[in-house]
Amino acid sequence: MAFEVVMPRLGWTMETGTLVEWLRRDGDSVEPGDVLFTVESDKAVQEIEALERGILHVPPDSPPPGTEVEVGTVLAYLLRPGEPLPRQAQDAASRPPKVAVVPEASAEAPKPGTAAAPAMPSRPTTAISPRARRVARELGVAWESLTGSGRTGRIVERDVRRAAEAARVAETSTRPLVEPVAKEPTMPAPWAITQPRSKPSHGTVPVTLTATADATELVRIHEQLIESLASRAQAVPTYNDLLIKLCGLALLEHQRVNAVWRSGEIIAASDVHIAIEVETESGVVAPVIRDVPSKSILSLADEVRELTQKVHGAQLKPDELQGGTFTIANLGEYGIDAFTPTINWPQSAALGLGRVVEKAGVRDGVILPRYHTVLSLTFDHRVVDGGPAARFLDSVCEYVEKPSLWLVR
Amino acid sequence: MREMTFTDAAREGLAEEMAQNPGIFVMGEGVGTRGGNFNTTVGLYDLYGPKRLRDTPICERGFTGLCTGAAMVGAHPVVDFMFIDFELDAIGELFNQTSRIQYMSSGRLQMPILVRGSIGIFGSAGPHHSGNYYPLFMHVPGFRVVVPTTPADAKGLIKTALRSTDPVIFLEHKGLLFSKGPVPEGELLVPFGKASITREGTDVTVVAVALMVQKTLEAAKQLEQEGVSCEVIDPRTLAPLDVDTIRDSVHKTGRLLIVDEDWGPCGIGAEIAARIVDEAFDDLDAPISRLNGAFAPTPYSPSLTAGMVPNAQTIAQAIRDLLAE
Repeated sequence: MAFEVVMPRLGWTMETGTLVEWLRRDGDSVEPGDVLFTVESDKAVQEIEALERGILHVPPDSPPPGTEVEVGTVLAYLLRPGEPLPRQAQDAASRPPKVAVVPEASAEAPKPGTAAAPAMPSRPTTAISPRARRVARELGVAWESLTGSGRTGRIVERDVRRAAEAARVAETSTRPLVEPVAKEPTMPAPWAITQPRSKPSHGTVPVTLTATADATELVRIHEQLIESLASRAQAVPTYNDLLIKLCGLALLEHQRVNAVWRSGEIIAASDVHIAIEVETESGVVAPVIRDVPSKSILSLADEVRELTQKVHGAQLKPDELQGGTFTIANLGEYGIDAFTPTINWPQSAALGLGRVVEKAGVRDGVILPRYHTVLSLTFDHRVVDGGPAARFLDSVCEYVEKPSLWLVR
Repeated sequence: MREMTFTDAAREGLAEEMAQNPGIFVMGEGVGTRGGNFNTTVGLYDLYGPKRLRDTPICERGFTGLCTGAAMVGAHPVVDFMFIDFELDAIGELFNQTSRIQYMSSGRLQMPILVRGSIGIFGSAGPHHSGNYYPLFMHVPGFRVVVPTTPADAKGLIKTALRSTDPVIFLEHKGLLFSKGPVPEGELLVPFGKASITREGTDVTVVAVALMVQKTLEAAKQLEQEGVSCEVIDPRTLAPLDVDTIRDSVHKTGRLLIVDEDWGPCGIGAEIAARIVDEAFDDLDAPISRLNGAFAPTPYSPSLTAGMVPNAQTIAQAIRDLLAE
């Protein structure tokens, strides 16, 4: 039987991926484990292996390298010697490929209506009971890829619930990234709005709070670190690293802000994994620093540097982009004071760091030169109320102003 | 609690209402000194005499029309058809007059009349004495259609019927007449339009009518051994029909089977299926399934009859098939 080679889902939230290049050619015999092609998703490139033995057949209508396609799109087939192409692949030859975005080559892509044979809307081949469809919607399960256990192959409720359970188990056993401390039913009103959509980020209700913090003490500590570590090979923690650390500690005390969507519900995570936004030529990438509160500032600094280098060298693994519970973005180096950072679904909040600027400040009734910085917290109002968000931001400001509060922890 | 047969319980209800309401009288073939072909009026002739227990010749259309007229002027007649099949000879009177008088008089006339008769395939009664016919009455606006399955419900529903100002068709399955069950002492009224969940379950909803409730409970017991949890619903009244209870059950189970020994086409199963698709489409995990008696006249032969109607085995199999959908 012909085996379909499809665009794989490399992360829970991955909807599309870019076929970078084929590493085997049309007509090659391949064995399980042979690397067939590379896929770029969330800015990381990953090699995809064959799962079956066979002769690789890349149909003429397969998306060309460089194309971004939906997860599940058939890219090629593995056939036995002499085996013909499956019927749907032959039919598909006359249809334009399912292409989400076609960079550059878009002028050559056939336009609907001008193609030799226009695409016919076909009846969906997968049957699903109305109840199973409803439950899939409620649990956020993509049912199109499920195998139905009904008499006629129909997807029924038990298939959807099994898939949801399997996803939940897979997520908690293979990626013990966040441990729930509280679940939806115990949450106050806004937590109850938990109807995820197929692209839940579309439902985000972002609200931003800003606060100015006196960063003089933090700047002083940073200067001391530069001085004392100058002679060592050790990477000197940046001002940014200090903020990641103190922010991680503040999140421990404000778990409501440190919340993620999982399997259709909101979970306040007790583990703090912070995604750091890094600018690259092709866009923003946010590698994740795990367990921020338990790491020393020095090891945190090393890790941030290493991940940043990987980002620029496009060596990040998909794992290193997954599981964040909160995001920090820093636009201070561009001279920005305040901005609205983007929430990275399934997270619920993000902190934006502005520039540190020396201004006249008032202390004990005396005007003095002080360093100030503006902190911008954007949060999903469906998940977090204004009060808890404001208290979190206030804690962060306090930690910036009085580093001794957390440095000794 | 005391145990009574279905027939005794229904007769107790009739007697209690006759004692309270002097406007109630019974008319039909053999309802007087004979006490009714199915013992529906045993003992009542001695209490109330020929004025309130009026034997008739075989003239269904005539006495049905007579009772309709009596109801129009304030009496509360009980038309005892013995076999509901005999109502077919009075159908013009029932459909054209009895069901419509309230409408045609803009509500100035009421139609408090109870039409009762035995239904069902039982005891080799043959083609002329085995009809069910409830869909016929459900189809016509104006009738209440009552199908009790337990002695307590027989008493409670006949008493409610005898206090109604609408025409009520009261149908008693021959296979249930001598079944026994607990009947509480004292006043007992069972409301119309309220189904009874006779067994609670989680895997499949089975709505059963008349004798099929008992057969379905037997099947549910068998299936329990196989780990299948059946919810069995007895609608008790088909008009008004308690769709809410069925819908709530389907919301829980996702699967619905209607078991009815009557013929399938345009039957109670078709009606329930259509209403549930309307109201609970997104709750359905499988197509709605019906199990009916064979679409043929009822034979005399006991061995042929046995193959005509659903039994515990065929019901259990229908449930297994539905769970595999």
